[in-house]
Amino acid sequence: MKNWLHGIRTLVWKDLVQEWRSKDMLTAMFAFAILTLFIFNYAIELSPVNRAEIAAGIIWVVIVFAGTLGLNRSFTAEQDQGCFDALVMAVPDLSVIYLAKLLTNFLVMLFLTVLVIPVYSLLYNQSLFSLPLLGVLVLGAWGYAAAGTLIAGMTVQTRMRDLLLPILLFPILMPVNMAVVKAAGGILAGAAWQDYSLWVALLGVYGIIVTVISILVFEYVIRE
Amino acid sequence: MRLEAHDISKSFGSSRVLDGLAISLEGGQMVCLLGRNGAGKTTLLRVLSGLLRPSAGEMRLDGEILDFADDHNRQAVGLVMHQPYLYEHLTGLENLRFYSRLYQTGLEQKELVSHLSRVGLGKSGQKPVRGYSRGMKQRLTLARALLHDPKILLLDEPYTGLDLSGSQLLNKLLLEEQEQGRLILATTHELTYAHQIAKRFDLLSRGKIAESIQNEDLPLQELEAWAARFLDSQPSKKAVPV
Repeated sequence: MKNWLHGIRTLVWKDLVQEWRSKDMLTAMFAFAILTLFIFNYAIELSPVNRAEIAAGIIWVVIVFAGTLGLNRSFTAEQDQGCFDALVMAVPDLSVIYLAKLLTNFLVMLFLTVLVIPVYSLLYNQSLFSLPLLGVLVLGAWGYAAAGTLIAGMTVQTRMRDLLLPILLFPILMPVNMAVVKAAGGILAGAAWQDYSLWVALLGVYGIIVTVISILVFEYVIRE
Repeated sequence: MRLEAHDISKSFGSSRVLDGLAISLEGGQMVCLLGRNGAGKTTLLRVLSGLLRPSAGEMRLDGEILDFADDHNRQAVGLVMHQPYLYEHLTGLENLRFYSRLYQTGLEQKELVSHLSRVGLGKSGQKPVRGYSRGMKQRLTLARALLHDPKILLLDEPYTGLDLSGSQLLNKLLLEEQEQGRLILATTHELTYAHQIAKRFDLLSRGKIAESIQNEDLPLQELEAWAARFLDSQPSKKAVPV
């Protein structure tokens, strides 16, 4: 267990330092997110009636699409320099690589969320600063990163990785997408906890199940 | 220490790259693997390192079956391949520190710097790897491969990118490693350098070790003639169909 945690910490440190210096993922994700928010701002007219539901949808769609850019890059540093082989030989268990990448992707998603929300508030003149909303987005980001890291680990070994990742990932993300939009919409509309608690529970369960399954199958995915 | 591989086969689709190969390697000896491009040298190194599962056959280290599911066995191998396995945005020292932590070597900063100095990179350790030349990366790759004190060292074309002084430094290091009892298998086309340190040369052809020659006071010209005669007489077919 100690070896496991040590391996995860070492890999996350390396990923974050690499990303901080190269800014490959963050720059692309943030630029994409801002551009998409601008497009939505011109394309969709928000009325007081649909404001809550649509705001939740816009925020999550922007985060998911921008996040896909990051997921695509998350394994390429390993792939480009052949470092994946070196990691496979060094770590005590291949699930260490999965969990480290999951944590890095999750942190990057949170960072993106923290950047996107103020920009949205500015553009749409609607405050989104609410702790329950942040909680829902955190749970959604975990589920997204858990599924996305596994699929990115699979597709990075193929020539068509850029195309394959969203095609394989988005159907698996349907429960997360629905749950985030419904729960966040409920929060923004001022609904009672009982009205959206089921969606929050679904997010939690999805995150746990996908993480556990991914830990179990990651070695098979990488080796085969 | 003794590494033995018996009846190793490896197929990719319908192509059989290794076909019942047998090889035996002793600790403290460097063996050079020669063969045409596409003969399966890199595939053999990947199989011996546990990165590829052989389609058939078994490997034994000191008589015990080598099971790469065991992390101790995976970590017994140091590997230098065509790709450097280095992170471009980290410095040379940070790359070594990263791998040192993953292998839990417990090496201190001073020891990591001495690893860098050993490969002639003592003054470049604080520079990001993206600014390194091909030769510098190759030196750092060697330091990385030796960092966790592996029993087995597998090198794929280790002289690639090295200038004269780099190649001489590599030979000096490999001699020291042999003296420490490390088991070394290297593929190379650079017979001039390899001749100075290797104890044996094996020729890989049609998925098998076709011929071997001991390097005991063997003149370089004789070695070159032997290799040329053998390699020139072999068909250039990349792999044997199954």
